[in-house]
Amino acid sequence: MNAALVSMVVPFFAAMLVLMWRPQQQSWLVIVASIVSLLAAMMALLSVIDSGPQSLNLGGWESPLAIRFQLMPVNALLIVTTAVIHLIVVCFAASSHHCQSIKQAFWPLALLLHGSLVALWLSMDLFNWYVTLELLGLAAVSLVTLAGHKALRAALDYLLLSLFASLTYLLGVVMLYGQYGTLDIALLATLTEADRVTQTALLLISAGLMLKAALWPLHLWLPAAHSSAPTPVSALLSALVVKAPLFILWLLWSRVAPSELAVPMGFWLALLGGGALMIGGWSACRTPHLKTLVAYSTVAQLGYGLLALGLLLHWQLNDLQAALWLFVVAHALAKTSMFLAAGEIQASTGKKRLNSLRGMTLTMPVALFAFAVAGGSLIGLPPSGGFIAKWLLIQPMLIEPAHWPWALLVIIATLLSAAYVFRVVSQGFRQSSVSATATEHGKSAQWLALLPAILVWLMALFSEPLLQLMDVFSA
Amino acid sequence: MMTDIQTILPVAIVLSSLIPGLLIFSLKESQHRLRITLNLAGVFSKLLLVGWMLHGVSQGQQFSFNITFLPGADLILQGDALSLQFVALSSVLWLATTIYAIGYLEGSAFRSRFFGYFSLCVSATVGLALAGNLVTFLVFYELLTLATFPLVVHRGTDAAIRAGKVYLAYTVSGGVLVLMGVALLHALAGTPDFIPGGYLSPLVDQHQAGLTLAFVLMVLGLGVKAALLPVHGWLPQAMVAPAPVSALLHAVAVVKAGAFGIIRLVYDVYGIETLSLLQLTEGLMILAAATIIYGSIRALQQTEIKKRLAYSTVSQVSYITLGVAMLGPIAAIGALVHLVHQGLMKITLFFCAGNFAETLNIHHIREMNGLGQRMPLTMAAFTIGALGMIGVPPIAGFISKWYLGLGALETGQSWILWVFVCSGLLNAAYFLPLLYRGWFAKPAVEWAAHPQAKRPASVWNETHWMLLWPTLFTALLAIVTGILAGSDFSPLAWAQLIVAREFAP
Repeated sequence: MNAALVSMVVPFFAAMLVLMWRPQQQSWLVIVASIVSLLAAMMALLSVIDSGPQSLNLGGWESPLAIRFQLMPVNALLIVTTAVIHLIVVCFAASSHHCQSIKQAFWPLALLLHGSLVALWLSMDLFNWYVTLELLGLAAVSLVTLAGHKALRAALDYLLLSLFASLTYLLGVVMLYGQYGTLDIALLATLTEADRVTQTALLLISAGLMLKAALWPLHLWLPAAHSSAPTPVSALLSALVVKAPLFILWLLWSRVAPSELAVPMGFWLALLGGGALMIGGWSACRTPHLKTLVAYSTVAQLGYGLLALGLLLHWQLNDLQAALWLFVVAHALAKTSMFLAAGEIQASTGKKRLNSLRGMTLTMPVALFAFAVAGGSLIGLPPSGGFIAKWLLIQPMLIEPAHWPWALLVIIATLLSAAYVFRVVSQGFRQSSVSATATEHGKSAQWLALLPAILVWLMALFSEPLLQLMDVFSA
Repeated sequence: MMTDIQTILPVAIVLSSLIPGLLIFSLKESQHRLRITLNLAGVFSKLLLVGWMLHGVSQGQQFSFNITFLPGADLILQGDALSLQFVALSSVLWLATTIYAIGYLEGSAFRSRFFGYFSLCVSATVGLALAGNLVTFLVFYELLTLATFPLVVHRGTDAAIRAGKVYLAYTVSGGVLVLMGVALLHALAGTPDFIPGGYLSPLVDQHQAGLTLAFVLMVLGLGVKAALLPVHGWLPQAMVAPAPVSALLHAVAVVKAGAFGIIRLVYDVYGIETLSLLQLTEGLMILAAATIIYGSIRALQQTEIKKRLAYSTVSQVSYITLGVAMLGPIAAIGALVHLVHQGLMKITLFFCAGNFAETLNIHHIREMNGLGQRMPLTMAAFTIGALGMIGVPPIAGFISKWYLGLGALETGQSWILWVFVCSGLLNAAYFLPLLYRGWFAKPAVEWAAHPQAKRPASVWNETHWMLLWPTLFTALLAIVTGILAGSDFSPLAWAQLIVAREFAP
């Protein structure tokens, strides 16, 4: 538990340090902080594996009053993922040539984002989540604005929708508090009944969360915001920030909601997930711009998460938790890779359009390879993390002939994702009219973009311990 | 000590092409010698290892390696008689094709990329052959798709990119179907190792719908690579790839991967008993027979040499599927031996087509007039391949057709004989005119006056030696395997060994 707290506090502390001290080389301080946070996160994960879930009441107060932090296998895994991705992204931001112009404000904001994410993963009550969601939202919006004028519009939309979502969320929370007098998840879980108020409150909270997570059909703000942000920011937003509301949604419906409400809701969530997969995938196949394509792919891939969550609730099948969280982790890694690679390519050609990728296998082989490898995991090709998650998801679909239509949905989604990934890759193999040669500078940034893609394929080799981790949890 | 080798050998066979492949990616274009050294080191070490394993398996040893992967489905590489039939074929042909490709691509761009992916393809093919269960098979099957794509689009022209997209559309869709089939079977029965006679018979009563759906999904999915009828469309398009790619991958490795998958599915997953209970092979037989006839007719309509060969592949690979679907032991021998024989003959034909194109820029059949005067050796190899395809003894193709025909009689499916007769006639109709043109027709321009043609100093110099020798080597193999089919070391003898083990009670 202490290690997890360290992993949360170090980024906050470093952010303050950067703001007050204003050192010349901020990037080094941030990288060191990220490394410390990662090490602490790993220790937290090990301690969960050793001694099971742990909780901590801040300030020593007892349950209804206390702010409770809890460390479980799932959020330990998420803390590690967060730290890994943050470390890679800040290293990328420090080493990429094209990020030199990034404003100094990036570093403290990125740290703030990191700290609030870890705080959110650890929290176990509805109000704490509200606070961390707000922090996260503000940090995210500020990070988007760093791209300058052209991103202001998208950032403003993001801000307004995020505030609106927070208010909706808060309204639901107030209703629950009025009904049951507590905000702690564990306590609520024992109290809730399937009445009108509870249902309305849960639906309001869910609507707010779905808007924040850009879950279809509330996704319209995401492509603009994620594609216009600076490259490292796009990666953080797509890989991590949109997953936070999904985490709350999961705990809310699987713990707090009574099963009379969760079972029908699960069906609708799964259906929305299917919609996200179709519409997101289709849009990614149509858009002419590279980063927008990657952003739409996030919309689509979040659909897998929602589908897994929905079916988990609908069939009351805890096995699907493993599928859900492996999707989240695999997508986080793959999407980081994809955004960093896409951003690096876009920055070096100076063009947003897909057809500027001609001849990229020659000029930027590593970046294109990173994109392709990450894409392989998004498609769900074996042996990658995305494949493992998809495999776990389709097993319960296939065992009952009545569930086969869901599998059809997954088939179509897979084909769509293959279509948009190879749209990009095949452009790279096209002969370019200008005889460009490989640029030597920016090599390290390209390799950093490849790193998470390799990690996501390595996940397949470590699927057994990962699944055991999930089993510990669901048992 | 022996047990160690028995676990390591299957992995070593895969790695012997994977490691050189990965190293080649990191080489600069100019590191010509190092690249060739790595390639050849990979080729020969693989041949050595495969030879070792062949010896072991013929002595009855077991080779198996596994690591944990999915719940209830490990990654398993194992060497049994059936996998070695395919592994040995691909390793020997990899040797020929590597030398051919070095000669073919001399001086062109992107060679590191080409040879890197080429080695990855061979690794994926070999891995798929050695796979010990369906999940492992699936992993390598998908990797093969990914690794071949860069080779299809290698030239980077618009036509190549278009063909690449068609190729992917087919193979990725096929891959998804196979994935669904494998996952469905896993949901029903788990994923045990491949076992002669299959492991699904206890489920027939309870899960008839599931088993039927899984079979249809997987046959359709594997049928994409095996170029079965409704899903064969990628193969002729993929002919824009460089000649070595068409020769090894599209005539041998990729299509055989599909056919090999069907063999595994029928013999080692479902088992003959289960399939006859489910009555699923009738449809497969009809599909394969239709593909044989359809491919031959389409081949007849083509005017480009490579396209005609491609449709001929569509037709010939379905002989394997047909032989398997008949479910009889003699037909099985025919199918398994055809896996090798068709590979030897077809690769020879594609090498020849590549030689014509490279040396004299000849792509169309009408330009072949009088080629025998200018390139007698290549033309001779072409003749051997073509006559073999028609089924003229003593070339290898005769042996496989003989067994397939006997198998059809044995299983009482005499209508299949008519398919063979019909297809044989069509084969003759689309190959003999080429031979006639090559040997007997008068060239349009005198070869001495041909823009590309300096009259070679001797017969052996009709084209670059690295293009000529592999062609002659595979042509020779096609004859030798035919003549020596009765000996103990022929593909036929090995096929008989497989069938003896598969059909053992």
